Amino acid sequence: MSSGSPPCPATLLSIRPLSGDTSLFTLQVPEGAQVGGEQPWQFEPGQFLQLSVPGAGEAPISYCGVPTPDRRVELCIRRVGRVTTALHHALPGDQLAVRGPFGRGFPLRHYLGRDILLVAGGLGMAPLRALLHTLLAERQRFGRLTLLYGAKAPDALLFRHELTDLAGRKDLLLRLAVDRAVACPAAIPSCREALLPELLDGLALTPGRTFVPVCGPPSLYRALIPPLLARGVTPDRIHLSLERRMQCGQGRCGHCAVGSLLCCTEGPVFAYSTLLGIEGAL
Amino acid sequence: MPLFLLPHNALDACLQRLRSVAELHGPRRDTDGLCRLAPLPEGVRPDLTTLRTLLPAKKYLLPPVETTLTFRPGEGYRLPRLPDTPLILLGLHPCDLAAIAYLDRQFLAAPPDPTYAARRAAITLVGTGCSPDGYCSCLTHPSPLPTPCDLFLHPVEEGFLVTAESDRGKELCRSLAGLLQADRRCPPPSARDRFAPPLPPPSTEELDLSLPDWRELADHCLGCGACSIACPTCACFELLEYATLDAAGAERRRRWDSCLFKGHAMVAGGESFQQERWQRFRYRYQHKYRGFGPLQGLPSCVGCGRCRVQCPSGLDLRPLAERLERREA
Repeated sequence: MSSGSPPCPATLLSIRPLSGDTSLFTLQVPEGAQVGGEQPWQFEPGQFLQLSVPGAGEAPISYCGVPTPDRRVELCIRRVGRVTTALHHALPGDQLAVRGPFGRGFPLRHYLGRDILLVAGGLGMAPLRALLHTLLAERQRFGRLTLLYGAKAPDALLFRHELTDLAGRKDLLLRLAVDRAVACPAAIPSCREALLPELLDGLALTPGRTFVPVCGPPSLYRALIPPLLARGVTPDRIHLSLERRMQCGQGRCGHCAVGSLLCCTEGPVFAYSTLLGIEGAL
Repeated sequence: MPLFLLPHNALDACLQRLRSVAELHGPRRDTDGLCRLAPLPEGVRPDLTTLRTLLPAKKYLLPPVETTLTFRPGEGYRLPRLPDTPLILLGLHPCDLAAIAYLDRQFLAAPPDPTYAARRAAITLVGTGCSPDGYCSCLTHPSPLPTPCDLFLHPVEEGFLVTAESDRGKELCRSLAGLLQADRRCPPPSARDRFAPPLPPPSTEELDLSLPDWRELADHCLGCGACSIACPTCACFELLEYATLDAAGAERRRRWDSCLFKGHAMVAGGESFQQERWQRFRYRYQHKYRGFGPLQGLPSCVGCGRCRVQCPSGLDLRPLAERLERREA
């Protein structure tokens, strides 16, 4: 865990718009930089970092890519608050700062040899993209891979250029859903007008050998968990990434508590079995 | 443990010596009738009889607002100059000291918080014995926490029996040579023993939602956060960033926050997981009496009674805690 040490500098390399309000920001951390012994570009999927925009503040952001030797960090960020708005006004070359990695990501060692059903809703695609790329990098170590991804409208689907490539892969089943299909992009054949949980219909699923990492808004969790349980997936195999207002990242500021658990140190990824009965968790 | 008597008539001289070692602060009754922890310059006597100060000692360790980072272009973010002014804090009661033990666990656990650690290292703690009143719950629900201090003053008829409880305390005793008299009587109970034996900790099971008291009590809660501010172990804070006037630099500050405030659990975009006041109310209760994160299971209420005194609606979580604990016993 990163300490109370100051954030280390990071240079904004590029901004790639993904949808109307969401862009992919690529940062580079200088060689040798560290925060209290931690290297913010070394992380596991599901973990997050704290991104500082000087003068605007700091916000917790999920890692969205995979670690690279040149210390690049990809972050998929929606313009929604003070820090992210300032960030959308930033230009390549601007100096930002980062702390991290924080939290516990998806339990990859449990996923070895298993079928993985990834379910992403909206911006929840960001941490699941990190997980997906990690799984695909060592594809042979995992069983059947499925990605269900839903967004409000076709133009809100993030990483559309990658989805087209993914749709062509033989070793991954991709199903996309949009709430309102004004015109489903023909380039992504797996897309249909539906609510995300409906994509489970007719999906081959072996509960005993399947883990289900999920990231999306609370409404997704409420709608998705009952049909997963009905299909026989046990609560310990459903892994949810929770959104909370992590500020200090060290379990001190008190903003990210979920019952008696702290999202910043014990999460943000929790097994559904851990969250059962915790008021306000989902 | 060496034991000394500080007679009443030597107290002023003792305080004067302490002032020569460090800045002396302690309970002081002001003209508005309130007793606060405040500087005790020469000529100002501490009020060692008042049971509770308006704000607890946390204001020294975790000031209401403090700068935790500065930013300058080219320099990046840096720690500010860490506070190192030596301070002697006089007149802390066992509950105040237990509260410091709780904050220590929260802020000195690896990796330690740099500003808290610097302030804590610069403070010498002088505890004082007390007699609990009806607002205190230290005897009925004693804290399991230790009561760290350097010196402890036990009130007796002739003055104070003084025990040194750390190396720094022993050193202070040496610097008070000539004022302290060796005393051969039986040492009074240690500061820790001033709490009764702790009850078994309450179970960390989820609290019963069906208890009608939650909503009923929360209906009276104004959500003002006075209880959190007055609480010696409430340490939620928020981080705020201020750009400097030239817009090139910035300062990051942390400011006391309260889980009773609506914005506490709000995430970017405005969604909150503690939307209703009763949910926030229960949440505060849960954290006070059950703990969370690495301190899960450790009640953080030390029984000082400040929240009960300060609440404008006269709310009191204690009877509820007692009821829940009885149910679980």
